[in-house]
Amino acid sequence: MVRGSSAKVTSERFNETHLAVVDAVDYYLNSLGPKKRSFIREIFDQHHYPDELNDAMVSLGLFGALIPACYGGTEAGLLSMVLAMERFSAFGLGNTLALLITMDTMAILTGASESMRRRFLPKIASGEIKTAFAITEPGAGTNSFELTLSAKAASDGTEYVLSGEKAWITGVDRADYVLVVARTTTLEEIKRSNLKRSFGLTLFLVPTNASGLSKVKMSTVGVEGYNQFQLFFDNVEVSSELVLGEVNHGASVLFSALNPERIVAAAMAVGSVDYFVNKAIEYAKERVVFGGRSIAHYQSLQHPLARIRTTQEGARLLTYEAAQAFDRGTAPQEVGTYANMAKYLASEVAFEAIDRSLAAHGGTGFVLETEIVQMLASTRLSKTAPINNEMVLNYIAETELGLPRSY
Amino acid sequence: MNIAVCVKQIPDPAAPGRLDPNTFNLVREGKLVMDDSDSYGVEMALQLVDRAGGGEVTLISMAPNGETSGLRTALAMGAAKAVLVSDPALGGSDALSTAKVLAAAILRNPFDMVITATESTDGYTGTVPVQIAEILGLPAVSFAKKVTLDGNKAMIERQSESGYDEVACELPAVVSVTAGVVEPRYPSFKGIMAAKSKPIETLSLSDLGLSADQVGAAGAREAIVSLRKAEARQAGQIIEDDGEAFAKIIEYLEQLKVV
Ligand SMILES: Cc1cc2nc3c(=O)[nH]c(=O)nc-3n(C[C@H](O)[C@H](O)[C@H](O)COP(=O)(O)OP(=O)(O)OC[C@H]3O[C@@H](n4cnc5c(N)ncnc54)[C@H](O)[C@@H]3O)c2cc1C
Repeated sequence: MVRGSSAKVTSERFNETHLAVVDAVDYYLNSLGPKKRSFIREIFDQHHYPDELNDAMVSLGLFGALIPACYGGTEAGLLSMVLAMERFSAFGLGNTLALLITMDTMAILTGASESMRRRFLPKIASGEIKTAFAITEPGAGTNSFELTLSAKAASDGTEYVLSGEKAWITGVDRADYVLVVARTTTLEEIKRSNLKRSFGLTLFLVPTNASGLSKVKMSTVGVEGYNQFQLFFDNVEVSSELVLGEVNHGASVLFSALNPERIVAAAMAVGSVDYFVNKAIEYAKERVVFGGRSIAHYQSLQHPLARIRTTQEGARLLTYEAAQAFDRGTAPQEVGTYANMAKYLASEVAFEAIDRSLAAHGGTGFVLETEIVQMLASTRLSKTAPINNEMVLNYIAETELGLPRSY
Repeated sequence: MNIAVCVKQIPDPAAPGRLDPNTFNLVREGKLVMDDSDSYGVEMALQLVDRAGGGEVTLISMAPNGETSGLRTALAMGAAKAVLVSDPALGGSDALSTAKVLAAAILRNPFDMVITATESTDGYTGTVPVQIAEILGLPAVSFAKKVTLDGNKAMIERQSESGYDEVACELPAVVSVTAGVVEPRYPSFKGIMAAKSKPIETLSLSDLGLSADQVGAAGAREAIVSLRKAEARQAGQIIEDDGEAFAKIIEYLEQLKVV
């Protein structure tokens, strides 16, 4: 039997929707059989996340998980998305685009006008519109308040003109729109007028084929199956209809979308632990090095895996807690604590898991056909993006422990 | 347009199967799943009903221990209801017994067409579809790779060794479909939730007016008399490619008369 996800999803803790989502995902993943392997090859060898998997996630109702039924969504909820992503990731098929779409959906739900919701949400749920997310700039990563890409209102107010640059933007070539965080009030103006640092940012849903917008593929690794791009905005005109939330108050919309992003990232990391550990177990049981017993008998192999399995369960429970709080409509601040803890622990244990899986495999771990080492970069990236773990610890120190801000 | 689809519930092919050393029958304990071959028939039926603009798909199954897991999957795909025949007396049924039971179960509801797979994944006799047709006194079209409707006729492309036959068939009829006929959908979570409350009528032999001596081991006309392991395959022939290997491959295929 193929070992998949270690998550035990039972009716004591989960409702009928969650159980049905898990059944549907398992049925789909089982029915893929050996095709899973060819998908992995497509991701690793062609750096292309299979369209078929994206289509399946649409059919499974996952891209509409956060979307109310009146906008064509499935209302499955973030916890359903988490349970599903864990299971895909347990087979090495985690999908970063799903994470981006989930956060963008949240931004649209929070910030968009009714007519924009009607325009975008049904098409996101049905897979017709896919979205990317662009906040990072060469000069502004962790400190996003330093971003400078500017948006200026045209004289008649019906549109904005965007100029500047974004970098490391994932999946733009596979997306129809990109949610761009732009500056509508300059940093100088904010300092001069003594405004809050979070003031002055505005969110735009920019069509990826907008004229004046060009993209250059970056030579990056880290997100399997999707590329990163530098985006150059050369006076890109964007209709003011495509502004999400209030002008200059984009940060508050953004804030609502960051929790789902972290929670889905945590779910993918938790799931990937199963992938690495299952492969290690499978190999160790077969591999004999000394004295006729397989290396699976060695405590030096078992204890790290047992510890990883334990930490994974902790990360999983934090992720569930965060997703459940989000679905209940708990205040973002409170969800944020669990979301950050989950993201932290999940990415740390995922990196430990790939390390110990490679250890168990010896030289075989570095053979591409073993299909582990290709995930080293992405697993390490989970500690750095969407937010780095140092920043997560800063946040927890400050909000949970009441310690002074260190930076 | 009402369609009855025969759906077999079989031991999960992903788990290694076991044969009973005394009866030589496949052990069918525990949870069963929908035979993958039947997912094509279910999908075909759903599409035909959809295109006809009304009607429903009824699943027909015979399985031990009142097993419904596989039926729930097909209901989650969109079938409206199911009829399950489960009776201890059915243990050891041969293909003909199975056909008798399925035919009787099919007659419980009005239908315009019966769809089956060409053969099951755990039994492989491939005879049940035509036996059902014979019992019901209906035309049988086997190995359908395409099915469309034209008024009260089914237009069927029937896979043959060299191509396909185009067959027009009055309804009602029994049609067995190949794995290529349509791409089966997988159940969505909404489908799975809806399936929980869809009706499954569970019947015993006597409910169908059949007696135990007509079916099951008692009524079986075929028996498995012995069993042996499949012979290990001979090593294949390896041709080193010196640029001319293609000619050898063609020669070999010509010998087999496949080109
Ligand atoms: C493969 C990949 C895909 C990406 N996809 C996207 C995308 O789709 N959209 C998007 O907008 N961005 C994307 N990014 C960008 C990513 O979010 C940023 O790289 C990340 O937020 C870190 O920003 P930076 O690179 O500027 O690092 P910096 O801000 O320069 O930070 C460098 C390091 O300094 C440390 N550090 C910084 N500040 C502190 C502090 N206050 N306390 C303690 N330590 C600190 C951290 O260890 C940090 O890793 C992607 C990046 C990669 C590599």
